[in-house]
Amino acid sequence: MTKQQVEAVIERIRPFLRADGGDIEVVDVSGHSADVKLTGMCAGCPSAHMTLYLGVETALREAIPEFDTLRVV
Amino acid sequence: MTATLTTESLVVGRSARMRAVFEFLHVISNSDSTVLITGESGTGKEITASLIHQSSRRKHHPFVPVSCALFSETLIESELFGHERGAFTGAIKDRPGRFELADTGTIFLDDIDDVPLSMQVKLLRVLQNRTIERLGGTRTVPINVRVLAGTKRNLKQMVVEGKFREDLYYRLNVLPLVLPPLRERREDIPVLMEHFLQQYFRKSGEDIPRVSDAVLQAFMRYSWPGNVRELENACERIAQTCTCGTVRIGCMSASILFRAASQPADVVVSAPTAPQQVVPIALDDRIRELESNLISWALKVSHGNKSRAAELLQIKRSTLGDRIVRCGLTSHSSEEDSA
Repeated sequence: MTKQQVEAVIERIRPFLRADGGDIEVVDVSGHSADVKLTGMCAGCPSAHMTLYLGVETALREAIPEFDTLRVV
Repeated sequence: MTATLTTESLVVGRSARMRAVFEFLHVISNSDSTVLITGESGTGKEITASLIHQSSRRKHHPFVPVSCALFSETLIESELFGHERGAFTGAIKDRPGRFELADTGTIFLDDIDDVPLSMQVKLLRVLQNRTIERLGGTRTVPINVRVLAGTKRNLKQMVVEGKFREDLYYRLNVLPLVLPPLRERREDIPVLMEHFLQQYFRKSGEDIPRVSDAVLQAFMRYSWPGNVRELENACERIAQTCTCGTVRIGCMSASILFRAASQPADVVVSAPTAPQQVVPIALDDRIRELESNLISWALKVSHGNKSRAAELLQIKRSTLGDRIVRCGLTSHSSEEDSA
């Protein structure tokens, strides 16, 4: 699994995130796991972590069959 | 069942489609005839049925909604027509059915398409004779009930397929009412959003926050397969989770976000509907604009791969090339083109 694959999935919703002054930064990809970080407007919001975490994880799993774990750091 | 929708929520809507529905409701308000309400899940069939009841002469009498999908083939008869003590194992006392409970009022038979064929004959007899017999009983009870029926499916098609009795269909389809899915009246989305957000924030005693443009855009683009009910739930979720005073992308369900992102932007170009807004539009320009938007979308989601984009648009690869030129879209990512 490459960082580009993870970025490509996040890229799909990035225009919406950026329009709201936020973003998801892919910090690290190792093995079949990825570490991401919420930045900008929604970074401090616990709800945003939960909603985006679930959605991004599901989307990654659909797009990358070998995908294993998503960590929000 | 549509019980979670409030009465006002259906009434919220300024689209031409909804205005036509309200006008029809007004026209039939004095009628006592059967209404067949067709609409996808979450479009407000039960609310509409209750509105019809409330605007009728029967409004001070019972309104009994019943989903025919909830009962097995054997239970539905007892549920609708009632039973006498000892009619079957477990029938320990006499029990009136929903038709009897709705006497002098209105019964709403939702999911009428789920009534098994064997039961449809009995239902037809009841509708024709306006009498019922309880299960295990011998007495014929006259009933004075207005019948409304609801369905998610195309009943006429089911008749063609032999899954629904034609005679019952005509008996029910006296006044047909079709509720449009939310994706066919997108102009109502902002109004509905405001309505539900107000309702849920007021419930928790908070001020109604501002909604960011990005959230509004995502809501407008999403296809809402669960219709108004899904929109209502999305708003409830926002009201529960928003902590910063502005509704932003982070408050939204990410599954809505991902699916909204996979929809092309501006697919829905609605014609101006209100009479005071009638201004000339240049059709050719609007079509070119739409074409250009759709091609840009296809190129974007296929990461500039024209063959993939052409597949998405269901046109030939060469046709796509011509149209890109015609629309004046310079393909910035042509070097990525793998074709």
